[in-house]
Formats: sequence, structure tokens, C-alpha cells
Amino acid sequence: MSQGTLFDIQHFGVHDGPGIRTLVFMKGCPLRCSWCCNPESHSAMPQVRYIRFRCKACHRCTEACTRGAITPINGSVLINYDKCRACTSRTCLDVCYHEALNLTGYSLDAKELLTIVSKDLVFYRNSGGGVTFTGGEPLSQPDFLLESLRLCQDAGIHTAIETCGYGNPDSVKAISPHTDLFLFDIKIINPDIHLRHTGQSNDVIIRNLDYLAKEHKHIILRFPLISGITDTEENIGEIIGLMKKLNLQEIQLEPYHTLGESKYEEFGVLHTENLIPEILNYPVETVIERFHAAGIACEVA
Amino acid sequence: MTPREITSIPSTEHSSFLKSRYLSAPLMVDIEYIRLLTDSHRKTDGMEVQERRALNHAHALENITPVIHPNDRLAGNKTRYIRGAIPYANYAAEPFLREMRKQEQDAQAKHAETGQGGGVARVMQEAAEKGLRVISGKFLISEPDLQDFRGICEYWEDKCFMAQGDKLWKTHFSEAGFIENGWKIGLYTAPHEPCPEGRLILDFDTAIRKGYQSIIHDIEKRIRDFQPENIVEAGKLHFWRSAITVLKGAIGFAKNYAEEAGRLALTEPDPVRKHELLQLADICGRVPMEPPRNFREAVQSFWFTYLLGHMEGSHLGYSPGKLDRILFPWFKSDVKTNFTEAVSLFEELFVKMTQIEYIASLSWQGLGHGNLYQNLILGGTDEHGNPAANEISRAILQAQINMQMTQPTLSVWYDDRLDDQFLMKAAECVKTGVGYPAFFNQKTYEQHELKTSGLPIEVIRKHCAMGGCTEPTLQGMSYGIVQAGFVNHGKIIDLVMNGGKDPVTGIRMFDERRLKTFEEIRQYYLDSMHSAVRNWQQYWNFVMLAHRDTVPLIFCSVFVQDCIGRGKNMDDGGAILNQSVTTLSSGMVNVANSLAVIKKLCFEDQACTFDELRYAVQDNWQGFEGLRRKALSVPHWGNDEEYVDSIFLDLFNEYCTWVRGQNNYLGKPYDPSMLAISTPVPFGKVCEAFPDGRLKGEPLADGVTSPFPGSDKHGPTAVIRSSSKVDHTQIRGGLLNLKFHPSALSGESGSRNLLALIKTYFENPGFHVQFNVVDSNMLRDAQEHPENYRDLVVRVAGFSAYWVEMSKALQDQVICRTEHLL
Repeated sequence: MSQGTLFDIQHFGVHDGPGIRTLVFMKGCPLRCSWCCNPESHSAMPQVRYIRFRCKACHRCTEACTRGAITPINGSVLINYDKCRACTSRTCLDVCYHEALNLTGYSLDAKELLTIVSKDLVFYRNSGGGVTFTGGEPLSQPDFLLESLRLCQDAGIHTAIETCGYGNPDSVKAISPHTDLFLFDIKIINPDIHLRHTGQSNDVIIRNLDYLAKEHKHIILRFPLISGITDTEENIGEIIGLMKKLNLQEIQLEPYHTLGESKYEEFGVLHTENLIPEILNYPVETVIERFHAAGIACEVA
Repeated sequence: MTPREITSIPSTEHSSFLKSRYLSAPLMVDIEYIRLLTDSHRKTDGMEVQERRALNHAHALENITPVIHPNDRLAGNKTRYIRGAIPYANYAAEPFLREMRKQEQDAQAKHAETGQGGGVARVMQEAAEKGLRVISGKFLISEPDLQDFRGICEYWEDKCFMAQGDKLWKTHFSEAGFIENGWKIGLYTAPHEPCPEGRLILDFDTAIRKGYQSIIHDIEKRIRDFQPENIVEAGKLHFWRSAITVLKGAIGFAKNYAEEAGRLALTEPDPVRKHELLQLADICGRVPMEPPRNFREAVQSFWFTYLLGHMEGSHLGYSPGKLDRILFPWFKSDVKTNFTEAVSLFEELFVKMTQIEYIASLSWQGLGHGNLYQNLILGGTDEHGNPAANEISRAILQAQINMQMTQPTLSVWYDDRLDDQFLMKAAECVKTGVGYPAFFNQKTYEQHELKTSGLPIEVIRKHCAMGGCTEPTLQGMSYGIVQAGFVNHGKIIDLVMNGGKDPVTGIRMFDERRLKTFEEIRQYYLDSMHSAVRNWQQYWNFVMLAHRDTVPLIFCSVFVQDCIGRGKNMDDGGAILNQSVTTLSSGMVNVANSLAVIKKLCFEDQACTFDELRYAVQDNWQGFEGLRRKALSVPHWGNDEEYVDSIFLDLFNEYCTWVRGQNNYLGKPYDPSMLAISTPVPFGKVCEAFPDGRLKGEPLADGVTSPFPGSDKHGPTAVIRSSSKVDHTQIRGGLLNLKFHPSALSGESGSRNLLALIKTYFENPGFHVQFNVVDSNMLRDAQEHPENYRDLVVRVAGFSAYWVEMSKALQDQVICRTEHLL
């Protein structure tokens, strides 16, 4: 059985699929969207996180670090993440009494995951809920994902995945019968603009979406509203066009927020983009109306 | 900041007026009732206890000033003021006298914290402006009244319930020293005599349906036909005669209101108001003496009986019970009253209920936070087990959605088959953020009562209601629980960690023991808990003899079955259910967490010795931060972790079994209960650091099965899974608090998820759950800008309170409960 790497399991998730759900956050993502608010999901490996406001500058971690990656500075510490990433002993974690240093990411296999997810079976049954694999990109760990979906389905648990759609088409084909609901991100239809803002072209994404639509899977599109990037007149029009073509009925909007900003520093992830304004080109209501006018069910996620 | 999803306003201008009048009124003490009662008491020396008590109460009722405030459409107030309290010197005069003599009221007064904002702030302002005096921290009283009251207290100083009780137990109870030391170290809540009554629901159905005249005739007939066969049986005469006296007094009370309404009508210039007053005069001339003719009269009749019972004793937890079931037949048969009018009438009724204040010792003021715990329970089933929510259930919910008053606190008897419209309305009310309704599992309580009382299931279903915050009881047939107060499990941890000696005061409570194994430590805890509980129960059995001899409730007994039939008041065993008397405690979650840490760190991982752990907690973890981190990483309650959950269950079962091992003063086993009210704050304040990582002075975990704030790391479903492991049928009362961010429950799907959560917990089967749906940022903002949040209501324990009238410590506790969002 293959191992999966997660960065969190959250119970009582109520915004990602129907009912009360358990959300499985999987580590690793092939895209680098400039607006991403989950930098901890980028790397597939476990990472040390440093939460500066908790740090009491006791500098015990500096002494404990075997790589010389932690430099004491006034009131806190400075972490050399390149040195830090190469380390697996992580002795610094044990001596941080204030939980300023944490490990994000851990491994388990599908059976172990099922044990955790099954604990909330009665909640799923009473609410029509289930499990949602999200991340990160679940498709970046295809074997673990497939095994997990299968086990959940066999246990009678409703399964959903939230995906950016960028994954091996064979993997998509393999998981499709074991997935009850796809929360499928659609960002930008124009391949060049997509490449510029996410680091990848969208051909494979559109191809996977096309496949799932033809399989008549239950798909809800998720559309991040990013000022001047995705919420343009042209892009919205093209999304509506695609939805018509593939006969997709539902879309959920995700207005951009800057709540993830501080996390970039905590994981030592470089964030080159300038801050994107939270203010949108159009009010959310206007976007909703456009979709409604095209006969598409639309709401804020 | 996320606003609350449901916001609503009073349905009429009239209701708005009543609410804002309440919110701007200061808290007043009214000595009229106690002065009249005392006058009568002075003149009745030598009478039989019950007859004297009835006559004194009746005298006060007949002579008290009937006050109808402008625009009132319901008549009857506990005092002459909008927000007023009666100082029951006949229960406990000493705390008042000590205050007037500028002494500390009791050993715990210095730990009590009460709120400073809202009506309390108004008190301080008016005291300064009008030269009034402040009493018991937050009540206004005029100088002449204060002088008068001092005389009244001096009269009662050696005659009141508390003084008479003290004479008994302090002289004859072998463990009296233990109890007094227990107060000094904070092992127990302060003496409960100032406000011992409550947890009582009268038989309002009979009161309304039959009317007082017909009840008097019934009793008179009993007396006529009476042929006693011995002296004990002959004693019934005393109760029956008392009952007639007190009912006649009550009729006089209502008649005075009828007259007053008529008098006001004469000079009223506004024709609309004049008509209202004439109508009121007509209604008060009819009920509660005769059965009502319509819904409006039924509500007035209920309110009179409710109020008259409330006036008789110093109550906390005196409750209206299943008011939707009681009033529905009157609504159904009244074609002239529609749903909207019913809502508006309830809006006024709920303002009336909130206007009642109580004055107790400072310690109890801090514990109860001024809350009266009037619990109105909706829904549930009928006697055959069929769902019983009706239009009135929804009207009551709607009225509180509109008004958001702190009283009555609403509850729902949950049953799976309750209709969707009602349950969704209940969820809507939760989402206003006021913290009610709380949800209770009727089936769990049925099992508890079947085991405890052996009464037929039909009787339990028909009468089950909530007496006070979370203590279920049978309405109209249970003894109103008069209990001693709470045992502080946290303090027992302190004692265990310090060889039986209180680390704060140096007082020795238990002998020191050699503690070499986990089993010995667990046993030391259990033995200490056993002594603490048993002494507390036995002490109270002495005290209650004095209750019977000084303040037996006569009016209330008339409306508790089967006091009239048995010719006995409740203290003499007149009630059908006498197993309701509870022994209360709080803080067990901290004990379980602490024992788990001791077991893991000292005996399994050898991370430290028990002595090292003792030094760490004695030094409030200073210099032991590494060890504290290890302690915090040992499983804590509320995460569905077998390691600690099994310890909690062990303690819980030991506690329940031990409590039942002692009979109460009515000859039935004490019933185990755990709830909390505000005890986690003062109890935590007197405690040192605990092995579970809690710091010195921090509040304890609240409720019964609520996790320690911040220690539940796996969301509300894990909290519920842990809590589900407890056999809730063992206890009378339990409490689980969950706090949600508004976004977690938004929209219709949010309401459905909330209901699914409740359903799942109750299938497992839990007993009680209640919710705070509020953004913590909003609460922090409300701490900084109280002026913007005068009517913000939040859930504390078994009650909701106005935010601005809560103490800072309690506000902090509500903020730091783990907030479930996503």
C-alpha cells in the first residue's frame, strides 16, 4: 500500500461538498498560482513552519539545530530554509516550547486514513456528508488517492475531490469511478494567460474536464475571482462558453483573500508577485448574475 | 468581523419600547415585600410553622403595592421597579449585615467577580447623581430603605434559615470544620442559603385550568370529610389550612391589580390605553381565580401563578417548563388570537421575566452572574412518545428571535421526529447568536428517570421539563431541588499534588500519603473526592432541617402534586418525585487530563518523576517549560483519544456511584449531576497550576464534557465522540458547550448541518449541547467598545447573559473556547 503525504485532516468541513465532511489536505501541487493562499501545499515533502509571533526568542532551537540553519536575531530567529529542507532529524522541534516551530506534513497509508475518516461515519450519514480530498493537488499522489477513494467508497462514504485538474489523464480515468463529486477548479481559459499566472498551460486541465463531463460525472466548477486576472469580461465569457459546450450546470465563486500572505514567510516560500488587491473588477453579485443569465447555477463557495 | 446571520427586531413598537425601557433601567432593591412579610412574622410568634409561613406570605401579597407601568398589557411585577430584586432576609440576613458593617460577606467574596457594564453601570451613575446607596455590588437602595432594611435584617439575624441551619450543623456535625475549611480554600462554593430555592416547575396546567377558587373548594371539602386516625395524619390539617390562606392571599394580589388598572383607567386621557386598562381590570378580576376565557387570559393566569411562586422564595432556576404544551390548547380554542398576536404577547412576557432580578451574597452573584435560569422547554413528545411541537412552540421561538432577552432561556427536548419547520426555526434562533435554544435528549432523560424514580414512562414523557439551567425534572410533581452548591474537583487536584494540604492557605484537609504508583495517586484522588462529597451531602442534610422549620414553600407546594393529596408540603415529602436532589460538581475534565499526564509522563515515559511534576506545578511551570510542553502533548479530553477518555469515564462512574451512596434529606439517594454555571472562573482562580498544563488561576474546563479551551484539536466531531462515551443516563444534568464561527453554519445547509450534528450526538446518546455562534473578533471588539454592544447576548453555561454585564474573566473564558470554523 502506498504512502500519502498530508498537511492536515479537518473534521466538520461544511463548505467543500454536501453535508458534514472530513477534509483531507494533500501535500504537493504542480501549479504555482500567483494568488495561492496555501503555500504549505506546494512542496510534496514535510516542511518546518516558523510562526514568528509565537517565538519568545529563547534561541534553544539555534543550539539544537544540527545544520546551522537557525540564526538568532533580535526578538526572533532567521531560518535558512535551503539548509533546513535538507534535514530529517528536526531536533529543533523538540526544544521549541512555544510551538513557534512546527512540522507541516506527515505520511500515512490509505488504511490508516480510512480509520480516521470512518470515525465520523454517523455524522456523514445524518448530514449526507463524506470525505473530500483537497490540497494541494490530490492528483499529484495518484496511487494513494486511488486506494483511499476505493476504501472510502467500499465503506459507504461519499467521496469528493477538489482538484485543479492538472494530472495524468490515466490517473483521472482510474479515480473517476470511485469519485462521487468533482470540485473542479477552472481559472483561466486562455492557455497563455493560464501559463503566465499558474506556471503551466491548461490543455491537460481542459482535456481532463472534457473526459469527466463526457463520463457524466457530478462536477461543480470552482472559479477563483482574482482581480484583473480571472475576473475579466473575456475570461468569464469563455468559461460560460466552455460550460455550455460540456453541458456543466454548476459553478461556485471563490473571491480572493489575502489571509494566506503571512504563511509564505512562515514556510520560507518566495512570493514574488506583488500583492493582488482584494477589490474585484466587478462586484461578486454582477458575476453571479452573468452566470445566472446564462442559465448556470452560481453561488459563492 | 463576520456578522451574525440572523438578526431580528421586536415585532411591534410596543415590544421595542419595553425592551429599551428594560435596557436603560438600573437595578433596584425593593424591600416592600420583605418588610410586609417581616411585619406579619413579628406578630405571629407561636403559630405552627406552615400556617405562619402561609399567613406571612399572604399578608405580603395582599398588601404589596400593585404597580402597572406605562404601556404594560400584562399585570404583575415582583417589585415596584422595572429591574428589581427582593432581598430575602428571612433566608439569610447575615451576608447583608456583614456588608452593612463593612465586613467581607464570606470567605469567597474576594474571589467573586461581577460585571460592570449595562444596568450595573447605570446603578453607579444614578447612585452618584441621586444620592442613593449601592448594595451587594450592583443594586440601588435609598438611604431610608437601607436603614429600614438594616432593622429587618437584625430581626432575622438569629431567626433566618441560614442562622437556624448554622446552629444545627455547626454544633452537631462532626465534620463541620472540614466544611468551613472547604469554603476557605475554595473546595466548595460559598454557602447557598441566600438563594437556595429553584430547580422547580409548578403545575401551571392545573393552576390555569381549575382556577384558585375551585382548588380552595377542593381543599375545603377534604377538610370537611377528614377523619384522622392518628396525630401524624391529623397534621395534614396544618398544610391544608395553610394552602387556603396562601391561595386567598394570592387572589387578593390579583384583585389589587384589577383595582389598580381600573383606577388608572379613570384618569387615562388616551382612549386606546384607557381601553387596554379596562380590559386588564376585567382580566385580573377573572384570573387566576377562575379559568380563563381566552388565550390572553390564559397567559395572564400563567404569569400570576408563576410570579406568585417566584415571590415566595429566593429562587434560582425556578422555571416555566413546557409552556408551549400548557398554552397550546388555549390558543387552539381561541379563534380571535392569531400567531402574530401570540408572538407579541410572548415578547412582553419575556421582558417581564427578564425584569426579575435576584440579590444574593456577592459570591453567588459572581457564580450566577445575575441570571435566574428560568428555563422554558419546547418540543419533545406527548405521553405516548409522539412529537409534540406546535404553533405556540414556534411563536415562542419567534418571540425570542425578535427580542433576544436573556430570560427565559429556551431549550428544546429533541426527538428525531420533531417537524422540520420547528427544528429549522430552532436552528434559526441558535444562529442569532443568543446561545439558545439548548438541545436536550429526551430519551436519555427518560432512561435516567425510569432508573431513578421508577415512574411510568407516560408520566415522565408528559411532565419532563428543565428546572434551571440543565437539570431535568418533572414539572408539577418534583421536589424543587434545594442543594448545597458545587464541589470543586480542581481544588482536589491541588490537594493531591500537595500531600493533602492546600498550597494557597496552608490548611490541611487530608493526611499525607506515600505515592509511588499511578494507582496510588488515583486512589488518593478518589478518597479525597469521596470525603469532599460525603461531607458536603451530610452537612446539607443538617441544613435542610432548618429549611423545613423556617422557610418551607407553601404556595409552591400547592402546585406540586401530590402535596394537597398527601396533606404535606414539599419538605415533608408531599411531592411525588423526591429523587431530584442533586450533588453538583465541576472541573472533572481537568482531573482526567491531569491524571493522564501523570500516568504518561511519570510512570510510562519516565519523562519526569512525580516529585518533579509537583515542583513544576508548585512553581506554575516556571522553569519547566519543556516539561509543560510534554504535558500538553499528552492526550487531553475532547479528541476521542482512548488514553484520556477512559480515565474520564472511570472518574465519572466513580463519582456517580459515590454520590448515590448517600440518602438526601427526603430519604432518597442523592442524584449525581454536573453542570457548571460560572464556577469554572472562581474555581480556577483559587487553584494552582495543574499537571495537565493549565496555569495557576486560569478557569477550569467548563460544563461537564466540554474540553479545556484550546485542547480540543480535532474539531467538534471529535469533541462529540468523546462526550458520547459518557453514560449520560447516570446523571441529572450535563453540559457541552460548542462555539461556532457564523460562517460554519451559514444558510439553510448550515442549519441542516447543525441539526445533523445534534442528531448524531443524541443517537450516541448524548444529553445536552448548546452553541455560541459568534465571531471571536466581534467579542474582542465588544470588550473594547461595550457602548456599541448593549444588547449583545452570549451563551455562558446553562444560561445566556448580556455581554456588557458579565465580568471580564467570564468574557475571556467565552472568547477562548475553541472556535470551530472551516
